[in-house]
Amino acid sequence: MFFQQKFRILSFLIVISFIGLLINIYNLQILDRENSIISVNQQTLDIVYLPSPRGEIYDVNNIKLASSSLQPHLFLNLRKINDNNQDTYEQYLRYNFPNLETKFIKELFEKNELLVKVINIQELDFDDRQSLSSLDAFEIFDFPIRLYEYENIASHVIGYLGEPSLEDAQTFPLSLNVNIVGKSGLERYYENDLSGEPTQIIFKGSEIEKIVEGSSGKDIKTSLNINLQMIATESLLQGMDLANDKFESREEIRKGAVVVINIQTNEVVSMVSLPDYDPNNFMEGISKRKFNELNIAGAFNNYPIQGQYPPGSVFKVVAYWLAEGENIYPEGLSSRNGRIDCKGSLSFGFNDGSKQVYNDWKEDGHGRVNLGSSIKESCNVYFWDIALKIWREYEGTSAESILQEYARNLGFGETTNIDLPYEASGVVPDRNLFEEWTVSQPERVRPEGWLGGDLMNLIIGQGAITATPIQVANAYRSLISGKLSSPRINVEQKSENEKLLNVSEDFINFLLQDLNSVTNEGGTAHASFSVLGSEVEDVGGKTGTAQNSGDKNNTSWFVGIDSISNPKYVIATVVEEGGSGSAIAAPVTRRVIQSLRGLELTPVKFGEITE
Amino acid sequence: MNTRKITLLGPEGTNLTLLTIFLMLNFVSWLTLFTLSDGLTFDTQNTVFRQMTFSIIAIIIFFGITYVSLEQINKYSYIFFYIVSMLLILLFATDPKEGVRRWFDLGLVDFQPSEYIKIALVLFISKSFTEKYNKIYVGTISFLAIGLVFFQPDLGTTTLLIAITLCMFFVSDIKTRHLLTLALIGGVGFFGLLEIGLINNYQLNRITSFFDSVDFAQSQSRLAISTGGLTGQFFEVDKVNLIFIPVQSTDFIFSAYAYQFGFLGVVFLSALWAFFFYRVGRIILSTQSDFEKFLLAGFSASLIFQIFINISTVIGIIPVTGMPFPLLSLGGSSIVATAVIFGIINRIFIENNVVI
Repeated sequence: MFFQQKFRILSFLIVISFIGLLINIYNLQILDRENSIISVNQQTLDIVYLPSPRGEIYDVNNIKLASSSLQPHLFLNLRKINDNNQDTYEQYLRYNFPNLETKFIKELFEKNELLVKVINIQELDFDDRQSLSSLDAFEIFDFPIRLYEYENIASHVIGYLGEPSLEDAQTFPLSLNVNIVGKSGLERYYENDLSGEPTQIIFKGSEIEKIVEGSSGKDIKTSLNINLQMIATESLLQGMDLANDKFESREEIRKGAVVVINIQTNEVVSMVSLPDYDPNNFMEGISKRKFNELNIAGAFNNYPIQGQYPPGSVFKVVAYWLAEGENIYPEGLSSRNGRIDCKGSLSFGFNDGSKQVYNDWKEDGHGRVNLGSSIKESCNVYFWDIALKIWREYEGTSAESILQEYARNLGFGETTNIDLPYEASGVVPDRNLFEEWTVSQPERVRPEGWLGGDLMNLIIGQGAITATPIQVANAYRSLISGKLSSPRINVEQKSENEKLLNVSEDFINFLLQDLNSVTNEGGTAHASFSVLGSEVEDVGGKTGTAQNSGDKNNTSWFVGIDSISNPKYVIATVVEEGGSGSAIAAPVTRRVIQSLRGLELTPVKFGEITE
Repeated sequence: MNTRKITLLGPEGTNLTLLTIFLMLNFVSWLTLFTLSDGLTFDTQNTVFRQMTFSIIAIIIFFGITYVSLEQINKYSYIFFYIVSMLLILLFATDPKEGVRRWFDLGLVDFQPSEYIKIALVLFISKSFTEKYNKIYVGTISFLAIGLVFFQPDLGTTTLLIAITLCMFFVSDIKTRHLLTLALIGGVGFFGLLEIGLINNYQLNRITSFFDSVDFAQSQSRLAISTGGLTGQFFEVDKVNLIFIPVQSTDFIFSAYAYQFGFLGVVFLSALWAFFFYRVGRIILSTQSDFEKFLLAGFSASLIFQIFINISTVIGIIPVTGMPFPLLSLGGSSIVATAVIFGIINRIFIENNVVI
C-alpha cells in the first residue's frame, strides 16, 4: 500500500532541503562574490608536469626493445629556496651526493623553474629517503626511466628521446610540458600514443596543493624480430669490412641498409641502418661533441627509408614487368623467349641524327639473351633495346613515360608511408621533371632537356633516378604478392591504401624463376650463394651496381627472396660505395637468408664482381 | 499497442513536457562542456562530441522504452534485478582499477553495473510491495544488493541506494517507528562491521579524510561557483579566470555551470527539475496503480538524491563521494541509466493518458 500522506510529508521535507541548498548557493554567489573574486585573483596556481612512463616497445616475440620503469628521484622545490637556506641545501647535496658536480649543483639553484630534478635515488634505502624528505624544499617523485636493452641494435627503428626543439613543439605541443619528445623512429611516429598523460603537480605558492596522477602510454608491438635484426646488422658490418678491404675509396665505407619485409603481411621484420647509435646515451643529454661526431658520421640518417640511391640493375624488374604487361620487347621480338645477340655494346642513331654507343658492363657481351637470361646475367643491352623501342614508338606522346608509370605503380617516386618519420620519396625522372629542373636546378640537367639517352639510363636504374631501400623491397614485394601497400612496423596498425597490381600468376612464376637463376650457376650472384649448396636452388634475387657521379664508388645493391617455392620474405641490402652488388651486398643478403631458412650461418665472403 | 506511429516528436504519445525537459538538460550539458573545451571537434577525445554521441544514444533509448508496456516492466522486474545483481557479483572477479572494482572494461567504453542497480532496486521494491511480500524479506534482499555496491567499494552509490530504499519504505504501509528501528540496527551493524575489520582502509579514509582537511577540489569549486555571481561569467566580456577544478567535466560540472551562468542559471536549472518532479508528483497522487506510485517515487528519489548529493559535494557541505549530476555530467553510463528512468516515467505518463 502506498501512503499518500507520508509521500506529501516526504516531498515537503525534500523541498525544504532544496531551498536550503539554494540559500547556500545564493550566499556563495551573491553575498560572498566580491571576496571570492579577490581570492581567485590572488590565487596563483602553477602546474608542473612530470612525464608518465612511456608505452613499451616489443618485438614480434614479445621481447622488450624499449622498457619504462618508474624510479624515485629527488627534486628541489625552488620556491622554498631563499638566500638564507640556499647554502645549507647546496652543502647538503654536495655532502650526500659526491657524484654530483659542484657546477651542476650551483646551476640547479639558478634555474628558472619551480621544481628541478636533482638525482635518481633508487639506490638509497628507506631511512636515507626519509631524511631527505624531511627537508622542506626536497620533494621525492617517481620519474620514468627509458631503457633500450639492445642498445645500438634497431636504434633507427626505435628512435631516441630528447628535449623538444621549436619544430617538435609545433608538432607535439604537449611535449613542452614534460620537456621530452620522441626525436626519431617509432618514438617519434607514435609519440602521441607512447607518451601517455603526464602527472600534474599543482602548486599554490610554494606549497604542493594536489597531485593529479597521469597514466602510462600505450605499448607498441612491432613486427621486428630482434634476433634477425642482430644477424642482419652483423652481416652488414661484415660486408662493409670486406668492401673496405677490397676496394679503394676516398673514405671508410660504413653506410648501408638492410630491410627484410614479410611478403604476405608487408610487415617489416628487420630494418638495419648503419652507422647506428645507442639511444640510451641521449637519456641524460649527450655532449655536443659526441652528437656532432655521430651527426657527421651520418648515424642519424635511417638509410633504409632516407637513403636515396640510384637503384642500378635491381630496377630492371620494372622494365621486366612492362615488357610482359605491354608486350614491348626489343625490335623484332614478340615474346619473353625471343633472343637478341648481345655483343657488349649498342650503337644506334636517334632521330636528331646523333650517333650513340652504349657499352654493357661486360665488354665481350652476354651472347644470345632473352628476357629471363638478361635478368640472370644482368645484361644491359637487352633493356636498352626495350628503351629504344619505347622511345622510337612513343617519343613526345603521353605514352612516352610508360616506364615511369610502371615504376610509380610499384611505389617508386613517392614515400611508402611506412610508420616511421622523415621518409624520403626518391625521384622518378621524366620530361616534366627535367623541365622543372632546368628552372630550379639547371646544374642537374642538360639544356636539351629529356632525351632518349635519359630513358636508356633510367631503364637500367641509372641517371637521375633514386630510390630508397624500403621502396625497392616494397616494389619486389608488390610484384610477388600482386598488391602494393605501405609497409608496417606496428602490428596493430593496419596497412592502408592497398592497391591491386595487374600481375598474373604466370608472370609471378616467371619472375621467381628468373630471380632464382641469378643465384644459380651462371647468374651474377652465384659466387656469393654457392655456399648454400643444394639450397641455392630455392632462393633468388637480383644484383645491382649503380654508378655514382664524381669520384664516388658504385652503390652495391642486392634484393633477395628467401624461397622460390614458398616466398615469405624480401630482403633489400645496400652498401653505400660498396663497389659491386654481386660482390658485397649479395653475400650480406645470403647470410640473412641463411638465418631466415634456419641454416648454419657462414661469414660474408667476397663474391664475383658484376653489375 | 506496439504499432505506435513515429512522429517528429518521437513515438506517438510521448509526453511533450518530459521530452522538452530531457532535451533541455542534455543541451545544458553540451553548452557547459563546450565552455570547458577548446571547441567542438569530431573525434572521440572531444568531450562535447562524446557527450553529444551519448545523448543521441540516450534519446534513442528514451524513445525505445516507450514501446515497453508497464505490464511487461512489471513482469520482468525480478529478472532484471537478479541479472544486475549477478553482474555486481561478477565484478568481484575482475581486476581492481585504482583499488576499486566498479567497471567491466568493454574496450571502447566501460560498463558500470552500479548505475543500473539504481533502477533494478526500484523495480524490485515496487513489485515486491505491490505483491505484498513481507517487508523484512524485501528489506533483507535490498540490503544484500546494496552490500554488493558497498564492497566495490562505491560509497556514493551506497548512500544513494540506502536513501532510495528508506524513502520507498517510508511511503509504504510500514510503521514509521519500525523503519526508525531498522535504521538504528543498520547504523549499529555498520560500526559492527567496522570493528571486525570487514570495511577496508580506503573506505574509512574516504569518510575520515574530509574531516581532517578541506578538500582541495571542493574549495576550488566553491570559489568557482561564487565568482559566477548573479548572471554568470559566460556573457561577461571581462571574465574572472576560470580556476582549476579537478574533474570539472564529470562530478564537478555543476560548479562549471554555476560559474558560467550564475545564480540565475542555477535557478533556471532548479526550475527545470522542480517542474519535472512536480509533474511526477501529480501522477503519483492521481494514478490508481500502486506499482506505478512506487516506481515514480523510487525513481524520483534516485534522481533527487543524486542531485542533492552532487550539489552538496560541490559546494563543500558533504565529503567528496564521486556522484555524477544526472544528465549534466559527462559520461555514458550515467546518461543512459537516466534515459531509462525517463523512458519508464514517459510510459507511465502515456498509460495515464497524460500527453502534455
